[in-house]
Amino acid sequence: MLPARIYRTLLRLYPNDYRALFAAEMSRAFRQAAEERRRQCGPAFVGFLLSELAGLLIGASAEWISKWTTDRSVRGRSLPDLRMLRPPGVPREVWFAGACLSAPDTSLPEELIDARNRVSLLVQRMVYAIANHDFPGARRYSNEERQARAQLRRLEERCHIEHSRD
Amino acid sequence: MTRNDEPAGKPLTEPVLLILLSLADKPQHGYGLMKDIETLSHGRVRLSTGTLYGALRRLLEVSWIERFEQDDTSREKQAYKLTPAGRKQLRAELDRMKQLTRAAAARLKTREV
Repeated sequence: MLPARIYRTLLRLYPNDYRALFAAEMSRAFRQAAEERRRQCGPAFVGFLLSELAGLLIGASAEWISKWTTDRSVRGRSLPDLRMLRPPGVPREVWFAGACLSAPDTSLPEELIDARNRVSLLVQRMVYAIANHDFPGARRYSNEERQARAQLRRLEERCHIEHSRD
Repeated sequence: MTRNDEPAGKPLTEPVLLILLSLADKPQHGYGLMKDIETLSHGRVRLSTGTLYGALRRLLEVSWIERFEQDDTSREKQAYKLTPAGRKQLRAELDRMKQLTRAAAARLKTREV
């Protein structure tokens, strides 16, 4: 159905976070409403399409204004923060490795905390590179991460600390 | 702006009032809301999807409604329901309207007498 396809394309006018939550629902609701209106006379269907177009343009502008003027914490009550979402194809263990390592235990030697932070940073960089389809970059970070992890293991052995499972 | 009090004291806009009314008795999904609002307003108000979802997002932001995943096998998975804060706001708005109607009726009566 052509109007539905055009509608889906026009949804790209909305901010990313809004689309992530509502785009599928909106296009489903549009399809259902369009199917119903199509059964009515021609002018009613044209009127429906025009009102949908106007609603979409006004809605998208309002959402951009809201995105620029609303604090991220307030906006986070209704929309997901895309930076916090695990990108598709990235294993859960890898994605959360950074979060687990980022809370430093102050009782540990500084050298060890630094090594853990470096592993965490490299994992995050690798994930970011994968999410952005920068595969050579991801490979480089993966190699660096392997070396950093080996260094971390040596330090943990020296400090008689159990290996971190990740 | 603080949670639950966005338009405190301000009258609700018609789409927002109709959405809250529509969710007052049972949870609804997007298209269900559009249809119900049309019925509630006797065909006078037809919300476009852009207007509806913009209003839903703002209502989620002030926590007057909640989004949840329906367990049934219907095509619509995501649905919306009223929160206690939303119900409170709806009651306050209806009280305000009742008060206004009473005042308007009293004025008209005085004029007719």
